[in-house]
Amino acid sequence: MAAMNKRTAVPGFAIGCFLFYMLLPIVATYAFSVATRWDRSILPEGLTLDWYKAAFTDQWFIIVFKNSLVLSISTVIASILLIVPTAYWVHLRVPKARPLLDLISTLPFAIPGVVLALGLIRLYARPPLMLARTPVMLVAAYVIFTMPFMYRPVANSLEAVNIRVLTEAAQSLGASWGRTLRQIILPNILPGILSGGLLVFATIFGEFTIATFLVGARYKTFPMQLVYFTRRDGRIASAYSVISFTIAWTTSLVILWIAAWGAKRTSGGGKHPTKGHTTGVVGD
Amino acid sequence: MTSNQAKKRRRKRKWLDWIPLMPFLFFCLVIMILPLFFMLKGSFTGSEGQFTLEHYAKMGVSIYAISFRNSILLSGITAILGVIMGTIVGYFICQLRSKRAQELVTALCDVTSNFTGAPLAFAFIVVLGSNGVLTLALREYLNWKIYPAFSIYSFWGLALAYTYFQLPLMVLLIIPAIAGLKSEWREAARGLGASSGQYWRYVGLPVLTPAIGAGLLLLFANAFGAYATAYTLTEFRFPLITLQLGFLLTGEVFRDPGAGDAMGILTLLMMGMSIIIYQVISRRGRKWQQ
Amino acid sequence: MSYLDLDHLNKAFDGAIAVNNLSLHVEKGEFVSLLGPSGCGKTTTLRMIAGFETPDSGSIHLAGEEITSVPPNRRGMGMVFQSYALFPNMTAWGNVAFGLRVAQKSQKDIKQRVNQLLDLVGLSNAGHKYTNELSGGQQQRVALARALAIEPRVLLLDEPLSALDAVVRVSLRHEIRRIQTALGITTIYVTHDQEEALSISDRVVVMRQAMIEQVGTPEEIYTQPDTHFVATFVGTSNQFPGILKDARSGLVTSVNGDWQISIPPIMDDHMQNGDALIVIVRPEEIRVSQAEIVIEEDNVITAVLETITLLGPVTRLSLSLPGQLIIADIKTVDRGRFVCGTSVQLSFPRRACRVMPGGDITNGDDN
Repeated sequence: MAAMNKRTAVPGFAIGCFLFYMLLPIVATYAFSVATRWDRSILPEGLTLDWYKAAFTDQWFIIVFKNSLVLSISTVIASILLIVPTAYWVHLRVPKARPLLDLISTLPFAIPGVVLALGLIRLYARPPLMLARTPVMLVAAYVIFTMPFMYRPVANSLEAVNIRVLTEAAQSLGASWGRTLRQIILPNILPGILSGGLLVFATIFGEFTIATFLVGARYKTFPMQLVYFTRRDGRIASAYSVISFTIAWTTSLVILWIAAWGAKRTSGGGKHPTKGHTTGVVGD
Repeated sequence: MTSNQAKKRRRKRKWLDWIPLMPFLFFCLVIMILPLFFMLKGSFTGSEGQFTLEHYAKMGVSIYAISFRNSILLSGITAILGVIMGTIVGYFICQLRSKRAQELVTALCDVTSNFTGAPLAFAFIVVLGSNGVLTLALREYLNWKIYPAFSIYSFWGLALAYTYFQLPLMVLLIIPAIAGLKSEWREAARGLGASSGQYWRYVGLPVLTPAIGAGLLLLFANAFGAYATAYTLTEFRFPLITLQLGFLLTGEVFRDPGAGDAMGILTLLMMGMSIIIYQVISRRGRKWQQ
Repeated sequence: MSYLDLDHLNKAFDGAIAVNNLSLHVEKGEFVSLLGPSGCGKTTTLRMIAGFETPDSGSIHLAGEEITSVPPNRRGMGMVFQSYALFPNMTAWGNVAFGLRVAQKSQKDIKQRVNQLLDLVGLSNAGHKYTNELSGGQQQRVALARALAIEPRVLLLDEPLSALDAVVRVSLRHEIRRIQTALGITTIYVTHDQEEALSISDRVVVMRQAMIEQVGTPEEIYTQPDTHFVATFVGTSNQFPGILKDARSGLVTSVNGDWQISIPPIMDDHMQNGDALIVIVRPEEIRVSQAEIVIEEDNVITAVLETITLLGPVTRLSLSLPGQLIIADIKTVDRGRFVCGTSVQLSFPRRACRVMPGGDITNGDDN
């Protein structure tokens, strides 16, 4: 009896502690954002939506939200345009270049945002170029910064569906290049592009470091405003935090869902095109 | 057609195949490789353009040395904590009988490993700040005043916040490896007379070792390059190498560009080595699993 | 000039020769198999016919028209891939219809033709299914229907059955042959499975190390192998290495004189008395009898019975001679009389012997 209890008690306790550690900060932030006052007592003193109202009515809210949205969407589009055709071409025609492409797309893992920002500013912020401190350069830096998130899922789905043979099959049936791309290739690597795109989107929407150094106050983003409020007004900061985190976890869940959908569709092929990972391995 | 002509045609076509890669390669060169190259060059260049090692010499003293030491300690400790706890939690998750519960906890890991930067820092202020939820609860119920001995703005506060994003990442990394431990191995070991402990010592842990080693390095790099979490919690008050770099970068005029370059290169070296060894180990691990 | 002509094709990949001066002529409606171990160049040959590889030199003509550098999507060749290569984003129906849509056939024609083809491959009820809902055998049937839908001028099959399990493999290969005969379509079939090639083809092309080793009907390939490689790669063969004693009367003795074998007389001069050679005898040609029985046969050799292996209707006996093992296949109903470890007599007629020069004995398997 005792042994039986011990067998279930230890894992139960460990997972319980883990869940407590993982959930407490999240739950607390959500609760804090709707609490009237919560710095004197264990439980919030009352519930309110005032902090959201205050956040939304702040003239900066729309601006920073829009700025972050513009940056995220531009980065996703630029990243797709740059990486997807390249990855496809390499998988199809230049398999020799694959190790090179794998290497290049892993490099950003080793480059912290602050180092990338430093490098760009040192090289491009001086006359005559003066390009470093513009939103365009920021998007370019973001494409590099998020390259592994885009390249990996796309490369995985290219491998999972054996793109080379599908291309040949389509051609042997008389299909032109355009038709092969539209009707065979794109539909089959779409799960990879979608999860890559969403991961890039979520990462950039919450990106603080590079944005601060490259554009700073000239192009304020959502995370900058969040950091600003953590120093000025914790309650508005909590509303910002909740919005930011909600966007992040919604994206994560959508990515997981896409991965499950993609895996189901190509389960005959074996490999999961997106492996169900939504983690962009970068601390922040 | 002679075979010579054919050879020429073939070589030409091979070369043409590389052209569609040019936009991508050019972009990476301009935005990633060149800045890093000039950073490397700058780190060895003195104020009159001469070759010098003075910037690196500076890294060994004062604030720079402290920052490096803190960064290495913080990354190392949170990586080790993350690996140990993550492996244990991952093992227990794999033991869960309900498939649904497994999926839920894994999804939670996926979500929380992306909960980093400013929102995470703020959440820890809410929980463990001087008036945080947990701070108050511990004082009220256990009469345990964690302040001022502990502070969320100190080294161990940072360590706690960093571990928050390290732990779920490790769980995600280790679960496939643990799931790859075949039950036949355990049965085979049992059949050969091994105890459970001997199974883990001779089979289980050695098979998991690549994944654990890879996790350690990835987590180390992950923490070493982190900026926003530490910045939101401490601004520039706590000396970490990324914060020092950020401090140099604030303001339109550079205070000490040479030192910045040297710090950047050393940071890249630390991260780069971690990532390279991580890649090597995890590739070997994958081969093993097949 | 035949329907499909391959003339002096050469292809190398990074210096490694994949196809070496290959010429082959295929008649309209013929079923030709390319047979050989992996890496022998058979798939590269097929891919050059399909247009996925361009030969370094040489030419390909189809119905008198040169197609050497015509892109694959304008060749009108139907290709079936080893990995099926079905489009996972389409149903079985959509896969078969794809080529017809590309050719801009009318909706009505497409519908009629797709249904007819799914019917032909026995999948009229599975049209709505996605590829991952089909078994391997069903997927390959869809792939076959898809290739046939465009009414290809040549049907190309690249090891289409090698990913399937044994039972499906056998039934599907009969079906491929049935459909091919019914449609009268010219077919090139790549395989490394000799049984498959022998059972399905009008002609078999045995390839080895980028070159053609022998071309012939399945019967010719099996009973009259031209080379040592063909003899050992196609079917099982016993090899008796020996020395030609008398070409006229056809007498061969083993190197150390343990046995002697009578072969058909050698009339031409390509082998001289005293040459080293190998006598090849198929296992089913060898009869085995108890040691004490007196046998009237061209060749009688005494050996020790080592093992008895039941293969089904046939039982395989392995017998040892000094320095070598001999395999004999006998009817299972005759098996009861033999005991392992005893001496037996093996006998075979003179006409069952094929003789190959024994200079360089290379292994049949060059992987």
